[in-house]
Amino acid sequence: MSTEHGWYVYGIVESDVEVLPGNEGVGDPPAPVELIRSGEVAALVSRVDVDKPLGSRADLFAHRDVLDAAAGAVPVLPMRFGAVLSSRTAVVHELLEPHADEFTDALNQLEGEAQYVFHARYDESALVHEVLSENPDAMALVEQIRDEPIESTRDTRLQLGELLGTAVEAKRSADTDVVIEAVTPVVAAVSVRPPTHEEDAAHVAMLVDIDNSGELEDLLDSLARSWEGRANARLLGPMAPYDFVTTTQG
Amino acid sequence: MTTAVQPTGGSGGGGLERPGGSGLAEVVDSILDKGLVIDAYVRVSLVGIELLTVDARVVVASVDTYLRFAEAANRLDLAETGQSKGLPEFVEGAQEKGAEKKVKGAARGAIDTARETVEGFVERHNGGSRRKSSTHARAEG
Repeated sequence: MSTEHGWYVYGIVESDVEVLPGNEGVGDPPAPVELIRSGEVAALVSRVDVDKPLGSRADLFAHRDVLDAAAGAVPVLPMRFGAVLSSRTAVVHELLEPHADEFTDALNQLEGEAQYVFHARYDESALVHEVLSENPDAMALVEQIRDEPIESTRDTRLQLGELLGTAVEAKRSADTDVVIEAVTPVVAAVSVRPPTHEEDAAHVAMLVDIDNSGELEDLLDSLARSWEGRANARLLGPMAPYDFVTTTQG
Repeated sequence: MTTAVQPTGGSGGGGLERPGGSGLAEVVDSILDKGLVIDAYVRVSLVGIELLTVDARVVVASVDTYLRFAEAANRLDLAETGQSKGLPEFVEGAQEKGAEKKVKGAARGAIDTARETVEGFVERHNGGSRRKSSTHARAEG
């Protein structure tokens, strides 16, 4: 017998949590977000039509919004986007019950904590100025390609670009270390995210005690000011601890 | 199988999803390749639903990147860097000027936090604010 709908799972929370009415999940039309409880743990879920694909912009945002909203109030273990089970019973008997202990343990570890993401991007012209000023070889290559057509200077351009790219990677690495060093006193853990742009200066996820979040913002604000004109920085969060939950077979 | 609370990242090079909107890019970064994988916990009643997510990875070290960097360098107005004035001085000057200009307006907004979604979503049955676990074990990061 085929099922027409399934239960989309956003994440795991403790069972003493309640979802307030009016929250909608993924899907079109979106169904309300509810909880399926089992003992001390519960799954944040909503009904979805299994015949319709998921992945629209609205779906991605809904998944993120449900988890981040939960993370602002209680510990939550986020599932990767796209987790769907066939029935409420399956959520209890296959997901929650057999893994109750490990979920509880992980939720306890996350008690009082939330994730933040620091993301900084270099100002392009400031970056290129900085790199060229430190790299006479690259500067010489710039002189060679100046006002020359791309076609006749492609090899030189590639050589120059590679020099610049390597230098930027080194800067990103050094600046990422600066970020980690700056936040170390107030974070429980850090996880470096890969750059999402070639001019990323730093992209770092941090697990932070909520009580320290003000201090974290102050530290990163100081850092961002010291980079003024050189890089633009953003801090996102509090959000669910996407970068700090792992499933390991064992 | 254990659900360990620890960093999943690592300083990987390479690239990651990079769709259009910056807001969406952040979302994609967080939810498509991070989080608990349902397959590891559930097998029998897993529903394979079609996912239409974009996989637009940006390759940071690529020919395109190099050509872009080269063009950025080519575009710089280097007139003032001519033989009479050394480049490092010019750079220093430019940065100071840029910083001066921006500091006033941007000092407060140097960091913007996105927390508007946080309020009013869940609440605890037993009321009260978040409690701290007394046995607070954490993974090293």
